Amino acid sequence: MFSKTPKRKRAASERISGYILALVGTLALIFSIVYVSSILAFIGLGLTFWGALLLYLKHERHVKSKLLDSTALSSLESLSKIIKELDYKGKAIYLPPKYQRDPKSGIVYIPKKEESEIPPVEGISEQKTFSKNPQGICLTPPGLSLTNLFEKELGTNFARTDLAYLQRNMPKLFIENLEIAQDLQIEKENNIVSVTIVDSVYKDFCSEARKLQNICGSIGCPLCSAIACALARATGKTINIEKDETSEDNKTINIQYKILEE
Amino acid sequence: MQFPLTFDDISLWLAITAIILLITAELTSPHYGQVNMLIDKRRLRTTALIMGLLFMVTVAIRIYGIITS
Repeated sequence: MFSKTPKRKRAASERISGYILALVGTLALIFSIVYVSSILAFIGLGLTFWGALLLYLKHERHVKSKLLDSTALSSLESLSKIIKELDYKGKAIYLPPKYQRDPKSGIVYIPKKEESEIPPVEGISEQKTFSKNPQGICLTPPGLSLTNLFEKELGTNFARTDLAYLQRNMPKLFIENLEIAQDLQIEKENNIVSVTIVDSVYKDFCSEARKLQNICGSIGCPLCSAIACALARATGKTINIEKDETSEDNKTINIQYKILEE
Repeated sequence: MQFPLTFDDISLWLAITAIILLITAELTSPHYGQVNMLIDKRRLRTTALIMGLLFMVTVAIRIYGIITS
């Protein structure tokens, strides 16, 4: 047996209040016409409107970030273990859309050797996990779904945009639309793209992911990975995470992405 | 039996409602830090803008009436 949670009860009571307000408002409007009373008309108009507004402004579903962190951390942990066990030493490279057929998919390539080399387009296949020439592993980036969500929210395909578009639109997306962070800045200097995220909802998750090998500064946590996917799509070039730092108070995350082809 | 409110009354009511909703929508924006309200803020903003627009329509009708009279 499941008991109704207080939140569900609150949502139901708000719906009932909405209906009651709308009903009383409509009655007041009818009486205002019968008795030709402007006061009743104002009351009726107000109540009907606020009742309708209560019903229209549906509740957004929120989950605690702690819950989100716990759900995603174990899969990252497994990924870290697999990479370590298979002994892939190279730095993860985010491949642009020219490497895949489906525009919504993404590939992060981890070379076997420490010296990362950009794989040729024909050497990579979406279906195959292990590539032989050059030797490496092709994985689905942990932040791919988040990148697709960014595209959905912005109503665009990053492959048809450029870095300037990301610099213009990502801060609004992060701060207002998705409320992921309090501030976001994207700056480009030569082939380095610096992304500064202030007070992100992923900050605790990031500090937990930092403890895992081969994740931070390589594949990255879902947020860093999502930005890397967006950059690879927008620039059409291969990207890797050069540096990933957090401020002492754990509030600001600074990620440096390197554009590997110019 | 007739509706007791005049065109001006409706216009005034629209203006006041639009102002209340616009202020609420602005205060719930992340710029002011009131982000923990569990409502669809986009819908609230849309409603506020529609009310404001309706008020502007009533103003335009009034101006047109003054010009043509």
